[in-house]
Amino acid sequence: MSLRKSLSVLAQDRSLFVPAALFAALIIGVLLLSPRLFTVNGLAGAILVATPLILTTLALTPIVMAGRGSVDLSVGPLLGFINVTLISWLVGNGITSPFAVIAWVVCLGAAYQLMQALIIIYVRIAPIIVTLASFLILSGLNLMVMSRPEGVAPDWMLSWGAGTSIFSPVLLLLVAAFAIWAIMRRTSFYSHLRMTGADERMAYTSGVQVDLIRIVAHVLGGVFVGLAALSYTALISSGDPTQGSTYTLQAVTALVLGGANLAGGRGGAVGSTLGAINMFLISYLLSTFSFGTVSGFVTQMAFGLILVGSLLVNVFLIRRQAAN
Amino acid sequence: MPKQVTVRLTEVAKSFGETRALKKCNFEACSGEVHAIVGENGSGKSTMAKIMSGVLNADAGEALILNERILTPLDAKRIGLATIFQEVLVADEASVLDNLYVGCDSFFSMRTSTEERAREAQALLDRLVGHPMDLKATVGDLPLSVKQWIVIARAILRRPKVLILDESSAALDLDATLRLHEEIDRLRATGSTVIIVTHRIAELVRIADRATVLRDGVTVGQLQKHEITEANLLALMTPADRRLSEAANTSGRASQGDRTIVLKASDMIAQRGGAPFNFTLEAGSIVGVAGLDGQGQDAFLRAVARILAPFGGDVHIRSEDGNEMAAVHSLLDAARLGIVYVSGDRKREGIFPQQSIFENLAIGIYRRNLGPCGVIRKSELRKTFAREVDRFRVKMGSSQNRITSLSGGNQQKILIGRAFANDPRVIILNDPARGVDLGTKRDLYRELRAFADRGGAVIYLSSEIEEFLGFADRVDVFHGGSVFRSLRAHEIEEEAILAAMFGQSKAEIVEFTTERKVH
Amino acid sequence: MTTTVTASPSTSTARSNNLQFQRSIVIGFGLLVVLLIAGAILVPGFISLRNARSILLLAAFLGLASLGQTFCALVGALDLSIPYLIGAANILFPSLLVAGLPAWLAVIVVIILGAVVGSANGILSFRLQGQALIMSLGVGFAIVGAVQIYTSLGTQFGGTVFAPIPAWLRNISAFNGTFLGLPIPPVVVIWLAVVGFTIWGLHNTWFGRSIYAVGGSRTAAARLGISEFSVWTAIHAISGAMSAFAGVLLLGFSGGGFVGVGDPYLFTTVAAVVIGGTSLLGGVGGYGATVLGVLVLTVLTSLLVGLGLDFPAQQAIIGLLIIPMVAIYARSPHIRNQI
Repeated sequence: MSLRKSLSVLAQDRSLFVPAALFAALIIGVLLLSPRLFTVNGLAGAILVATPLILTTLALTPIVMAGRGSVDLSVGPLLGFINVTLISWLVGNGITSPFAVIAWVVCLGAAYQLMQALIIIYVRIAPIIVTLASFLILSGLNLMVMSRPEGVAPDWMLSWGAGTSIFSPVLLLLVAAFAIWAIMRRTSFYSHLRMTGADERMAYTSGVQVDLIRIVAHVLGGVFVGLAALSYTALISSGDPTQGSTYTLQAVTALVLGGANLAGGRGGAVGSTLGAINMFLISYLLSTFSFGTVSGFVTQMAFGLILVGSLLVNVFLIRRQAAN
Repeated sequence: MPKQVTVRLTEVAKSFGETRALKKCNFEACSGEVHAIVGENGSGKSTMAKIMSGVLNADAGEALILNERILTPLDAKRIGLATIFQEVLVADEASVLDNLYVGCDSFFSMRTSTEERAREAQALLDRLVGHPMDLKATVGDLPLSVKQWIVIARAILRRPKVLILDESSAALDLDATLRLHEEIDRLRATGSTVIIVTHRIAELVRIADRATVLRDGVTVGQLQKHEITEANLLALMTPADRRLSEAANTSGRASQGDRTIVLKASDMIAQRGGAPFNFTLEAGSIVGVAGLDGQGQDAFLRAVARILAPFGGDVHIRSEDGNEMAAVHSLLDAARLGIVYVSGDRKREGIFPQQSIFENLAIGIYRRNLGPCGVIRKSELRKTFAREVDRFRVKMGSSQNRITSLSGGNQQKILIGRAFANDPRVIILNDPARGVDLGTKRDLYRELRAFADRGGAVIYLSSEIEEFLGFADRVDVFHGGSVFRSLRAHEIEEEAILAAMFGQSKAEIVEFTTERKVH
Repeated sequence: MTTTVTASPSTSTARSNNLQFQRSIVIGFGLLVVLLIAGAILVPGFISLRNARSILLLAAFLGLASLGQTFCALVGALDLSIPYLIGAANILFPSLLVAGLPAWLAVIVVIILGAVVGSANGILSFRLQGQALIMSLGVGFAIVGAVQIYTSLGTQFGGTVFAPIPAWLRNISAFNGTFLGLPIPPVVVIWLAVVGFTIWGLHNTWFGRSIYAVGGSRTAAARLGISEFSVWTAIHAISGAMSAFAGVLLLGFSGGGFVGVGDPYLFTTVAAVVIGGTSLLGGVGGYGATVLGVLVLTVLTSLLVGLGLDFPAQQAIIGLLIIPMVAIYARSPHIRNQI
């Protein structure tokens, strides 16, 4: 995207201003404090580490855009679930073909999200409760499948996690996800999705199939969770039943940081990606300081404060003075 | 072009829980006509519109649009029916253009060129709004009247074969209403059916070819063009025995002698851009407040009760001992100084739906019965509850039942009982008779008059002009944000109020209506 | 829960209108009885004084932690900062003892800090109530990080704090604690007192009625001069204070400060509220219902433990229980009926 074009995107969409400004500030910060990031190895490593978060945030994006405050809290554990089942059920049973692995992660993610969407729509329970219950169920299941980190990723995947080349298959996953998003954006589904999230009653009375929109949004999110799980598996090269869950809070924070409205209707791949990259850069910058034993806590506190701060920014700076 | 029947409803019925919104509804509309559905508030008009547009499905009977059954709004879109709902449904986050074409594409199709759409939308919207519009503007930044136009334009852009307007001119001023009527004429000329749902008689006298009258969920009659007069409509909407004869002789009974001013509002600016005005309320009087929607009367009532702060001016009420005027600065001030507010919008700002009948009344007087640490003294409450239930003859089972088990009228009685239980000095009622039966209205008028006779004062806003006749001592008619005309006892008659609502003298409005009829 | 003035169960309307309330009680007790019977059959020694005491002890902790969650649910909010505040209080308290504060003062300080954090949570989330849950998560995360930084300064143990716990605190929360010579852990007595006071207060004080009013209809409450902001902030403050209190009491139970002690309470407080029958949409339910939910949940957990299921399996089963329970009490209206 040329500079002029990206500037015009920014001018059109006020919500992207804050994440873009933060991104610029963080890049300057990194340049000053740790320019090592901008070497081939640095960037390759960065892509490897940041991709699961970017993809998880992308997974949340259509689901949140569909409205009803449906922040999917279960994405983290779902990512973990796909990871542990991939390692222990597929690889553990000798199934390692790339086709089977990719089909498994994508279909499992999509199927699980489809089930959640059906419960939300037809049992008519607030999405947040469904995903809260999902979080609990999946966190439990993950530990039942695999009680502690173990196993190895398929051989062909091991080189993915080396982080020595910028144009690694992990980057390909990212590109694939963006391609899916770009195609989706060109269809009327995208505008239907935005309108459903912005005002579901308006969309419904205007003849939009809001239920179908919600289902597709969740399935799309599920596909992205699958891709995220794949990149996560490449990153850790094994199975881990608990670490996946931590992605929920990070992804929600990244989403809000990217200017999406958790109430629905506003959001997009550019914002979410910027938000996720910003999250990565913040933790990267924090790691350049030496906080000793408390560094984990500093990161935790920083994430919490960023979430609170960006929620407030979204509400008070971006929100227009509604006429009524 | 031969006229065909496009919409046909036979014996349609619809209930919501205990409430029977539509009992027996027969309706027929043809191509190339403007057909009005008229009825009082709560007579089932909106339910009927929702059934025709597929939002609701009938419990019994059959609704056919262009010979098809419509079960969802998607069906409606497919066969060419567009509805403009009472509530202004727009997406604040999205642009004007997106709002106009929402739902126009089929699922998952590639988006069609927006340039042609933009041109078409631009032309229509400029014509409707009256000044050039920016289609890229975010809807949330626009005023309510423009949002209303967006909703109307959205429907017209669909080139509907059947268009339903459910009270859609609420946020429009007179000038805008005329532009809307031009648009309706245009649609009629192309052979579309236009169905107007309204309780505003003046509007449909001008535009409708036929009118169907709905009363208590039953279609009670159909009027041809030449029969559509206010008298005929009123006769059908409210049967003879329900005319407010009992209330008629209550007004002006209070002694005309020394009437002390209880409440005074000076230099009030109720609405942005409205001219400042003064308002006085005398002890023992009932002052009616009228006006077309959005002319500032509603904002004025809320400002007096301090639900909203006015844009300017202040409100004073005579203190209990009668010697000085105390300023009202907040809602709690108003409550402490004896001003109570009753809303006609029970569902939204009146009842607590999950609470019992008793709780719904008592919550208004807990504050007066607090002991140390905010503990409620319950002993007095039961007596007060019994007194108010008795006063308004509320029909109910156990007082512990949920308030939603009561009919609309009885719910309103409980809310007015809540107001009376506070021993107020000024009662402000904002269209309290909306959707209640005549019995309730009678009880309400009687009790309000008794209250005034005891020295209280009442401000009574109504959207139905008939309510004032024989009931109010004075009617203040709002237009353009402030009091346009104040009508005294003998001047209170329908034509005069109507004329003032449109900001005109009586002679002008008569002339105007006839002119439109000829056109 | 509600005080019945005129009992007229004979009329059909009375029945239909009290149905929800009755149904939640019936379902709650039904579940409890079923679980107790199942336990008696399947697990040897399930029906015993010893097991009853341990169930009550665990129920007391969950019940205290769920009080704030109940209040929040009554106005349609959820507070996800509870587990983090419990964990933070659990390590802050011993480090205050280490710093030389007398135990009674440390308890008060921790509870006040909990209330302060809670009210901050309420103030921050008031304007974005649809996202209050995410806000509370962020606040919780930030607080637990901050407290961990504070407690870790100058020590090499991250997240775990060691300090001598006063004997009286251990007695309050320990399984073999005694109250006036009786073999009942005092925390159970504290909980029962809180239960009684809360149920009475919800129905007989202006504050209690205000919570229901705001939860039932925000606009109607505003017309009565009830400040939604005050109620919203106050319940979040109460939630914060109760979380901190539970965190301190749990220290007596576990014996050492550990930040992860609150983690299970993230979802069990929500589950207890939901199983009890308090609608998450606001306005319906009460602490009495939550007490029932707490007992069901604790007995269920005890049964699952007795059956040899480990923590992950318990977690999954409790998660599975939430959806049907919400489906009974708090289904959203169909979109057709919202227009």
